Amino acid sequence: MVTQHNPPLETNDDAFAPAPFQTSDELDRMLGDCVHCGFCLPTCPTYSLWGEEMDSPRGRIHLVEQAARSGQLPESTVGHLDACLGCMACVTACPSGVKYDQIIERARAEVETTHQRPRGQRALREAIFALFPYPRRLRVMRGPLAVYQRSGLQRLLRRSGLLERLPNTLQTMEGVAPTIRSRTSLPERVPAQGTRRAVVGMLTGCVQREFFPGVNDATARVLAAEGCDVVVPQSQGCCGALSVHSGRKAEAQRFARRLLDSFADAGVEWVVVNSAGCGSSMKEYAELLADDPRYAEAAAGFAAKVRDITELLVELGPVATRHALPVTVAYHDACHLAHAQGVRTPPRDLLNAIPELTVMEIGEGGMCCGSAGVYNLLNPRPARQLGDRKAEHVAATGADLLVTANPGCLLQISSALGRAGTSMSTAHTVEVLDASIAGHPSTSLTDR
Amino acid sequence: MATAASVGSALDELATAAGGAAVEAGEGDAVAGVRPRYVATPGSTDEAAAVLRVAAARGLQVVVRGRGTALHWGVPPRGVDLVVGTERLDQVVEHVAGDLVCVVDAGTTIDALNAEAGRHGQQLALDQPVPGSSVAGAMATTRSGPRRLLYGTPRDLVLGITMVRPDGVVAKAGGKVVKNVAGYDIAKLLGGAYGTLGLVTRLVVRLHPLPPESRWMRSTLPLPEAASAALALTGSQLAPSAVEVRREAGADEADVLVLLEGTQRGVAARSDAAAGLLGQEAQVADVATADLARIDAEPADVVVKVAVPLTGVTAVLAAARDVEQGQQVRCRVQGSGGSGVLMAVLSGESVADVAAAVERLRAAATGGSAVVLQAPDDVRAHVDSWGPVGGLDLMRRVKDEFDPDHRFAPGRFVGGI
Amino acid sequence: MTTHPTSDQAEQSTARHGPDDTPTGADDARADGAAVAALIRRLTESFGERSVLTDEAQRRTYECDGLAAYSVVPAVVVLTTNAEQVREVVATCHELGVPFVARGSGTGLSGGALPVADGALIVLSQMRDILHVDPLAQRAVVQPGVINLDVTAAAKPHGYYYAPDPSSQQICSIGGNVAENSGGAHCLKYGFTTNHVLAVDMIAPDGQPSTLGTVAPDSPGYDLLGTVVGSEGTLGVVTEVTVRLTRLPEKVTTLLAGFRSTDDAGTATSAIIGAGVVPAAIEMMDQLAIEAAEEAVQCGYPQGARAVLVIELDGPAPEVDAQLDEVLRHCEEAGAFEVRQAQDDTERALIWRGRKSAFAAVGRISPDYIVQDGVIPRTALSEVLHRIDELADEAGIRVANVFHAGDGNLHPLVLFDAGQDGETERAEEVSGSILRLCLEHGGSITGEHGVGADKAPYMAEMFGPDDLDTMQLLRCAFDPRHLSNPGKVFPTPRLCGERPGRRQGAHPLQEAGLAEVF
Repeated sequence: MVTQHNPPLETNDDAFAPAPFQTSDELDRMLGDCVHCGFCLPTCPTYSLWGEEMDSPRGRIHLVEQAARSGQLPESTVGHLDACLGCMACVTACPSGVKYDQIIERARAEVETTHQRPRGQRALREAIFALFPYPRRLRVMRGPLAVYQRSGLQRLLRRSGLLERLPNTLQTMEGVAPTIRSRTSLPERVPAQGTRRAVVGMLTGCVQREFFPGVNDATARVLAAEGCDVVVPQSQGCCGALSVHSGRKAEAQRFARRLLDSFADAGVEWVVVNSAGCGSSMKEYAELLADDPRYAEAAAGFAAKVRDITELLVELGPVATRHALPVTVAYHDACHLAHAQGVRTPPRDLLNAIPELTVMEIGEGGMCCGSAGVYNLLNPRPARQLGDRKAEHVAATGADLLVTANPGCLLQISSALGRAGTSMSTAHTVEVLDASIAGHPSTSLTDR
Repeated sequence: MATAASVGSALDELATAAGGAAVEAGEGDAVAGVRPRYVATPGSTDEAAAVLRVAAARGLQVVVRGRGTALHWGVPPRGVDLVVGTERLDQVVEHVAGDLVCVVDAGTTIDALNAEAGRHGQQLALDQPVPGSSVAGAMATTRSGPRRLLYGTPRDLVLGITMVRPDGVVAKAGGKVVKNVAGYDIAKLLGGAYGTLGLVTRLVVRLHPLPPESRWMRSTLPLPEAASAALALTGSQLAPSAVEVRREAGADEADVLVLLEGTQRGVAARSDAAAGLLGQEAQVADVATADLARIDAEPADVVVKVAVPLTGVTAVLAAARDVEQGQQVRCRVQGSGGSGVLMAVLSGESVADVAAAVERLRAAATGGSAVVLQAPDDVRAHVDSWGPVGGLDLMRRVKDEFDPDHRFAPGRFVGGI
Repeated sequence: MTTHPTSDQAEQSTARHGPDDTPTGADDARADGAAVAALIRRLTESFGERSVLTDEAQRRTYECDGLAAYSVVPAVVVLTTNAEQVREVVATCHELGVPFVARGSGTGLSGGALPVADGALIVLSQMRDILHVDPLAQRAVVQPGVINLDVTAAAKPHGYYYAPDPSSQQICSIGGNVAENSGGAHCLKYGFTTNHVLAVDMIAPDGQPSTLGTVAPDSPGYDLLGTVVGSEGTLGVVTEVTVRLTRLPEKVTTLLAGFRSTDDAGTATSAIIGAGVVPAAIEMMDQLAIEAAEEAVQCGYPQGARAVLVIELDGPAPEVDAQLDEVLRHCEEAGAFEVRQAQDDTERALIWRGRKSAFAAVGRISPDYIVQDGVIPRTALSEVLHRIDELADEAGIRVANVFHAGDGNLHPLVLFDAGQDGETERAEEVSGSILRLCLEHGGSITGEHGVGADKAPYMAEMFGPDDLDTMQLLRCAFDPRHLSNPGKVFPTPRLCGERPGRRQGAHPLQEAGLAEVF
């Protein structure tokens, strides 16, 4: 086992000096693109929960505009910006092409530099960002979690009602923690089966690698079966998605540079990602590192190669035989796949191409499940409401299996389904393909 | 209100205002049995305004008359000095066929308007329960017939009006285009107001193309089935122009009639489908829409307009049968089952029985209304002609603003307005 | 008109003025600071802090509706969740003399929900329950904050839908639709909100609740419902709406026809209507509008088209088929070079997406633009379009045209760059001239966006003093103190309590310079 030691990254230190909210011509222009039509409102998870202007994309743009103009960042504004899930459904809906994704990212970066959060909040954020982007640290968590689950302590705690008295965030962490399975690790290179059609690099991710290793294994197997040499640089770490989506830009840039380094000599035509959040941020490396003379070019070149696994499989076209999988699946659009990357059709096409498999659409399909990166840890209450709402729609499909492309969504929705007393197995799109190509029975997915 | 001493000069003033057209009222000018003193028939909006200014200055109580076809509808006025007739306001002012819009004077009859519109393959799609109505009269009393299901009522067909207020001020509202949301829709306010807010002198109405083909289909069914068939037709995708229900007095069955309008090919295909919903007895009916629209009541009859939600037609038909069994009355019911607006024509020897029957119908009209359009005085005395009305307080305030002295058709309207 | 501002334009917090420079915003109803403070105190006690917003940043997000050129920060924003709360807010405002404005989704394009600086903004967007759907009776009962398209979504499983379909139907609220009497592409055949609302529960400006209309048609008494619909929130606040549901048509056919000129497209429109066909919709877009939509949503409209018509036929299948032949013939005879028929729902949606996104999409081809809304008789279409071109050329401004050709409702989009010296003024001049052009042809200054704060000054050009005075009689009956959405619709408020027609000489207030007469 290769253990890569990541050098420590500095996080926000305690020497906090409040500064005015900084705007730029570019931000001003982006804010000016909004014509206030309101088409974004119905797509926004928090607007759908609360029906308040300041918790809608239009309202948040307005708040950022106020801050940009006054240089002031009131406490209330920070709260409304924090409440945004960053699901980007509003970007899809906007007819004027407002770049809300970039507006909120920049605003969040300003929040992080100009605003001092209360101590408890700060500690929680630091804890999260000191844990999730680091596969090694996550791995340390695996042991206690597995013991906790296997020992029966979990059931005992859940039954005791003691959990209800834990702080919301701890409850959420407990609730969404996946069942820990034994972990495998991919070799540096997995050779193509049959004629080689492409050489692809693969991102193993943080949460995906540690909690859903099966997804990475399946991804490699499917790619190999479709004639790809799969290169898995062992030095790779976090892509920086969680950081960039939370306004921690410098941290994100550091992660990005290191990932570029890891893939620098891999000699791959594509970089495949099976986690929606990671893919969306990696496709934006060019923007993230635009001002870095050493990395700008490499970042642009890299970003152009990034593909979601489903995109690449559709682009390549199938060669491996699909075996029948008589199962009904509900396909959930991960926000960072559907809204941020615009990838809606490829996963459905791949699933629909599997004999005897039926794909069901989920009601309010474009609405976020509430997972949203680390949102469910930072804003447990709305995340839970959105999760419950999503679970209701998922259960209504009557499907045997919930399929989606993001580890966060899987954790979030299964946990909500569990609360509602519904049990539905879950799988990543690529695991379904893997089962079909390998000729496994559908129970390999539904009964695990 | 006018004093006897001023009679001569009042008539002179009215005559001057109306271009000579003012006379002392005759027997035939009575309004629901109340005889006025004068009748003025202005020939223009300006003359009408002049007449109403005289009336205002003299404090005359005024009743507005279209063609006089429905003066017996509504509660008799508490008093009337002056009837303003619109029979001289009878021109089709402007018909722009390309815009499907027509400007007419208030007293123009629907028939005259349709004669003009028909030359261009168009129509004012408004049926007449009482033949010979003026356009403004139909609007003031919200008259409609079978085809209201597709085309609506005057409420939906009047785009704009010119009116003279009780104080003699001329005002316009709405416009000459189909789509227009500028300002309050005063035309709607005057629609169905029985002339209690002022005099309409000119209207802009929306026209519809005359369909190339139209066909009535009919079936006779037991009462509950008749109501269900009407409901099924209304909820079908056949887009009928009318769904009528007609139950003769004493009958345990009713006719259900459906009107299909459109292209030849389309109507033929839709008739077949409609027959499926009408049952085995369904057949093409050789009837005229105008005949079905007519109420045909005797002067001694009581006519009640019963409006119900679509699902309430069954209850009205059942109530009609009930009152015949419970009270000594005969109760014919006809009307638009498809829109939930039915006319009940009651006749009976006993005032108390007839009055009880009206109340029974009203009780059956859950969520809707039962308005006594026509009734002999003795019956009127025993029933609440209008029944309960929501928003009455606001209505009184509107009346106070438009007609602060309550001179226009006093007492004829809801809540004694 | 609807001016979409750049960020620095939006800074101006006073309204832009119309032709006679009448200030919009409330000047007839002024509350003092103490009254507002008392209102806030009482409502906070009653509803709690979370529902009574006083934080400035939060209040500011409500400073404008879909017309961002006007902004006024309300003194307090009240988030209501039920009719009783609305009644309490209105009654308290009435008692304290504080003006109030109701707001749904805030998508209006005439500034109808523009707040009053020393007043309350009553937000109804949390009242969004569909209370009852009765497909057999063809009715639904909804709260005012319910989104238009959600009514259709609730009715569709039963085979019904809610017919009025403004372009913003995915977000605009039914309460807002009632206030504005909203139309949409399909009102040519199906009518407007007023034709589809059977009853409303309303809180009058004095805080008294009443029900206007019934679930049955032709409810007796004055048609107050008919006057409340389209009264732009000046007669009270609606808390519940009973709407008519319309049966889904058996067949819908959507066509997209490309023409070499707007004249040809206009000729086709007239021929179709003249032939007695009443399509569900006929929409026209000119070249600039096509360009914008193409850029925004890649709708794939015919290459090289100077104008397109979107024509939709619906109804019983055999009728639609028969009409289709007729429509195709007229399009070809008028010179259509390509006519496309949607083969499925996806294609139909794509055709409509181009049309429905057109307003906001214009933002992609111009930094700033004004959405105009005027109506002309259909027969004047060609003449008016040419005149609009001339006006634009004279001013050196571009105008894109998107409109409901079937009923003559124009939506010229006046494009400009506020960064260029004098362009804003020229654009506004063109925009105003277009309205006057509509009036010259016997049309209207608004077909569906409403008068609001934006067009109040133009009301005096469409209506005479007596016409406006008569409308204000109605206002005085409902709201003698002008507390409900003051400053909207009418250029100058009437002094209620006067006896109409008895005014002689100048009113004392007018002489004192405190009030204006039209």
